[in-house]
Amino acid sequence: MADIIDDLKLKLKDKISVLYSDPKEPVVALADKTAIKPVASIISKSFDILFMLVVVDRAPKFELNYLFSRYSDDKTITLRVVVDEKDYAIDSICSVFDSANWEEREAYDLFGIKFTGHPDMRRILLPEDWPGFPLRKDFKVTDEIRNWTGLDLKF
Amino acid sequence: MAEESDFQIGSFSYPGLADVFLTRAQKFIDYVLDWGRKNSLWPLTFGTSCCAIEMMTFGATKVDADRMGTLFMADSPRLSDLILVSGTITKKMARRLLNMYEQMLYPKYVIAVGACNVSGGLYHDSYNTIEGVDRIIPVDVYIPGCPPRPEQFMDAVRVLQRLIKENETKVQKYGRYY
Amino acid sequence: MGPVHPSTHGVLKVVVDIEGDTIKKAVTEIGFLHRGKEKLAEIRYFSNYYPIVDKLDYLSALSMETLYASLIEKAADIKIPERAVYLRTIFVEIQRIMSHLLFIGAFGQDVGNITGLIWGLRERELLMTLVEEVSGGRLAPMYMTNGGMFYDVPKDFGDKLVDILDKIEKKLEKDYVAMFQNNELFKIRTKGVGVIDSQTVKRLGITGPNMRASGITRDLRKDQPYLAYDKLEFDIASEKEGDSYARFMVRVEEVFQSIKIIKQALRLLPDGPVVTKTPWLLKIPPKYTFVRHETPRGEMSFYLVTDGSEKAYRLKIRSPTFFSIRALEEVLVGSKVADAVVIIASIDPVMGEVDR
Repeated sequence: MADIIDDLKLKLKDKISVLYSDPKEPVVALADKTAIKPVASIISKSFDILFMLVVVDRAPKFELNYLFSRYSDDKTITLRVVVDEKDYAIDSICSVFDSANWEEREAYDLFGIKFTGHPDMRRILLPEDWPGFPLRKDFKVTDEIRNWTGLDLKF
Repeated sequence: MAEESDFQIGSFSYPGLADVFLTRAQKFIDYVLDWGRKNSLWPLTFGTSCCAIEMMTFGATKVDADRMGTLFMADSPRLSDLILVSGTITKKMARRLLNMYEQMLYPKYVIAVGACNVSGGLYHDSYNTIEGVDRIIPVDVYIPGCPPRPEQFMDAVRVLQRLIKENETKVQKYGRYY
Repeated sequence: MGPVHPSTHGVLKVVVDIEGDTIKKAVTEIGFLHRGKEKLAEIRYFSNYYPIVDKLDYLSALSMETLYASLIEKAADIKIPERAVYLRTIFVEIQRIMSHLLFIGAFGQDVGNITGLIWGLRERELLMTLVEEVSGGRLAPMYMTNGGMFYDVPKDFGDKLVDILDKIEKKLEKDYVAMFQNNELFKIRTKGVGVIDSQTVKRLGITGPNMRASGITRDLRKDQPYLAYDKLEFDIASEKEGDSYARFMVRVEEVFQSIKIIKQALRLLPDGPVVTKTPWLLKIPPKYTFVRHETPRGEMSFYLVTDGSEKAYRLKIRSPTFFSIRALEEVLVGSKVADAVVIIASIDPVMGEVDR
């Protein structure tokens, strides 16, 4: 566990900072979002899957928590990246972790974060012509939305 | 001069007697048809979520649906005359439900199962659910509960049978294109 | 196929491209049951979210409740009494048996064996009645709460449970073996159909019985013991082949293991209170909490972000079947249309959990 964090620190120097160094579930913050792909490939040496991708709306920024897990034991590592309001975009890690495919589509669906380089960037849970991104904090569930029956959706 | 439809015996004529006769016959035929319909409801199992599991229990051994003539045999909307909407209907699903309902043949009855389909229930403030399936299709019988017990399904079928007998279902009251 | 075709287990839609009778391309489409549960978590109080958690994986509501309760307890630093720990273990295992029995039944139906469905539901009904006796609810019991459970079990609960388990065990050893494992037709329909190898499992992130059928021996109950699992003896059910038959056998074996666990836990069940008193309106300080359990369908987990108020700031639900059904896009290619129904059933998807 410690060796992977050392490895990350060695390669990316000041971009990486350890927020929470639990031996089982460490949390690592990445300051530069463009470095997500090299970091993911370093992590992929010792972790098998992207367990979950948690997007938190810290308006106006978004905070992405990548949680990696492996099959040999119960250890996980969390990578925290901030996406700013300029373009809401980050590189996709699909080519490194194939399990990220649908998780990234879901993040796009509910939060509107674009993953550049994703092979199939469509909405997954909601219809293609659904207006808005429902899990953002500025999306309020109004009567208009509640009373809408959705019969006019094309998809 | 007697009209064509008048019933004549010898030189006497009874205006309107044929109409009376035909109406009586029509009523009798309707009665027989309704009797047949109410005792052999073939439900289309539109199970989307939790209530569908209780619907399966309704069809299984403990609470047997078959003994009321409600056979879970029709998997196609073309064969069935009752739709059991069990489970939350989302905005993505709404058009599919309407599609299914339109494919069913006349006369068709609807039972809305569960709190979600009665009024929105647990998801009344969600952004992606329909609050009550009666916003889309006419509903005859509502079953409350989240999820309802299998016995409640039986009760609902009994209520629907009574409604058919008394000519009180939506499709009988408001006609074919309601 | 789908979304309301009876063979697809809920509202799963699979767009298949066929040539003759062979599937050339399969695209799964989900989201027909997306009820916005993650948004509702930001609207409801922590204690009022239990009924919605129940309907996540509606075939194993008690597992979901236990998972959510442990999340809240971990976040708010609540310690639960020893009796509650054991009772939760028992109920989670009861729920696992119920869920797997329904799988056996539904799988039987999809293979063409409707008696299997009737039998599965019949055996499940025994446990369902017991759960109803204890909690008052059938499918959505609403039994767990913050710090334990709402009420203690009745006095004769243990004896009744052992009776029922013996009955189920006997049925599974005799009747079900004759119906499924010794049935030549069943074997032909399932053996070698829909093989998921261990490489695919690792690539897609599949967990639970589907993973254990492919030769990976991993169970969070052993690897990361939660509740009372570290004090109980049991084996991990596992098969090598990775086909539909292996997935079926893993679940049958898990039922036996669950029966073993429950019998041990009943023996170890201590006396005492079942709940630590906590205020109904909890306030959780700002932090990140992560909990995962082995539910009947795989590793389910919650990730909670709080901001110091009575409501969650963000709750993410990781559903195991969300990852499993992605395998359909690859497994269905090259198989026959009639086998597709069997393969979908063997994955055991519950759409309430996939779509959230």
